Amino acid sequence: MTVNEHLHTLEIRNLTVRKGGVEILSGIDADLRCGEVTALVGPNGAGKTTLLLAILGQVPYTGEIHFCRAAEHGRGAPRIGYVPQRLPLDPDAPITVLDFFVLSAQRRPVFLGASRRTREIARESLERAGVAHLLQSPLGRLSGGELQRVLFALALQDAPDILLLDEPISGVDVAGGEQFCDFLSKVQCDSRFSLLLVSHDLSVVTRHADQVICLNRRLVCSGATTEVLTPENLAAMYGTDAHLFRHSHADGHGHLHDGGKR
Amino acid sequence: METILSGVFTLMDRLLPFAFVEPAFMKRALLALLLTAPAAAALGVPLVQHRMAFFSDAIGHSAFTGVALGVLLGISPSWTMVAFGVLVAVAITLVKGRTELSSDTVIGVFFSTVVALGIAIISREKGLTRNLQAFLYGDPLAVTDAELLWMAALFLLVSAYLAFLYNRILLLGIHEGFARTKGVRGPAVEISFALVVALVVTAAIHAVGILLVTALLVIPAAAARNVARGAASALWVSVGVAALSGFAGIVASWYLDTATGATVVLAAAACFAVTALYRVARPRE
Repeated sequence: MTVNEHLHTLEIRNLTVRKGGVEILSGIDADLRCGEVTALVGPNGAGKTTLLLAILGQVPYTGEIHFCRAAEHGRGAPRIGYVPQRLPLDPDAPITVLDFFVLSAQRRPVFLGASRRTREIARESLERAGVAHLLQSPLGRLSGGELQRVLFALALQDAPDILLLDEPISGVDVAGGEQFCDFLSKVQCDSRFSLLLVSHDLSVVTRHADQVICLNRRLVCSGATTEVLTPENLAAMYGTDAHLFRHSHADGHGHLHDGGKR
Repeated sequence: METILSGVFTLMDRLLPFAFVEPAFMKRALLALLLTAPAAAALGVPLVQHRMAFFSDAIGHSAFTGVALGVLLGISPSWTMVAFGVLVAVAITLVKGRTELSSDTVIGVFFSTVVALGIAIISREKGLTRNLQAFLYGDPLAVTDAELLWMAALFLLVSAYLAFLYNRILLLGIHEGFARTKGVRGPAVEISFALVVALVVTAAIHAVGILLVTALLVIPAAAARNVARGAASALWVSVGVAALSGFAGIVASWYLDTATGATVVLAAAACFAVTALYRVARPRE
């Protein structure tokens, strides 16, 4: 799946984020390459969301984040799509999915109507995500899985170079999670972006990620998925006697267990 | 400027050949309401969405102190009211941004401090209480031409402001991080919104008074939430309810001989009741 000649790479060098005198992230080095899925794992408070925010430029940091494009593709600044974990909206809120597209992309104010172009873009994006029927649905009433697909559609519509997904599996049921993984594979194959995925769920990680970055305020490890998730590294991150058990299901996903007799 | 106003008055006579429109003060009152209520209602939609009703109440009450300051310093209270309201609005927004305190707490502190300051000032100047009644309960029948022109200017300002920034305001309220990735500048939008709300709240005080001004922002928006499905209809229903309530309230207060401001708010409440019944009768999904 990965192309040898990378169209673009986001290079992170010695990234440090300080808040209130405490170092939330120290000396992070990472490469996000076009066409690859990178998983960001680590316990709560490890700084995963902070790293996302640093990439988005929403948090001050020291160190370097450098976006390199292959010569033919000119321009410097990366287009970054962001899929947040959830939207704190009440079910009553008078905002439809189409409205959300209008608010994100249209100049004309939403109360003067959605332009034909916005409608087309919305319809196409939602169709690609398999949720075309949600165009007029109230945003606050979508299920976890539906909302995720809508957010994904919205983020992809901009043709981003880098897509950041914050905990895409939490809040979605098992079937939804499976659907998401399939969707992810499909999209990765026909698009040319790099994906950074923050997840607690190591089953998603082992199935889809090309590389893993293990974080616990500092870089615990990074590299190819199969090599990186060793008991030592897991212990360094999660701090307990953690092990990765491979189940004998056909697709071979793993679960993280802690404690244990082993 | 005077000719524009007399032109408008003649037009009103022609469009509304009713007894209650005849006196000049009624025309002014009607204009005051039709200029401020819809503007307030339009701002009310994002205000209610972002749970800022308490904020608008705080601005309304700070106007009380603004008026007291004006009388104390010998400056026209109408303008010190606006200036002080804007000051408090910006101060609350800045403090909220810098501290970890919740909105409620920050607003609560400002609210009480500001009102206490106002009361302290008034208690020293014995003659003030009579002046203040008009500000507490509203007195649209006494609105001056200068105030009307200010309201008209504000109406245009709010229309332009919302035409350019409405999408960003709503998006910011949905998810701040996401909005920022779409180029929305959070602090600038928040402060400008607070400022415009303060301007409209202080103008609306002439129509309905300090005690009821939040109602003009909240009730039409709340009614809209009962019936509107999307963002566009939410805004237009809110504005429509405000215009209707303004008109119905003035007419009713003429015939019932009640305080105009309060009657307008009651009319809005009636609209809310109707929309609430509609919603109960036709539940969504």
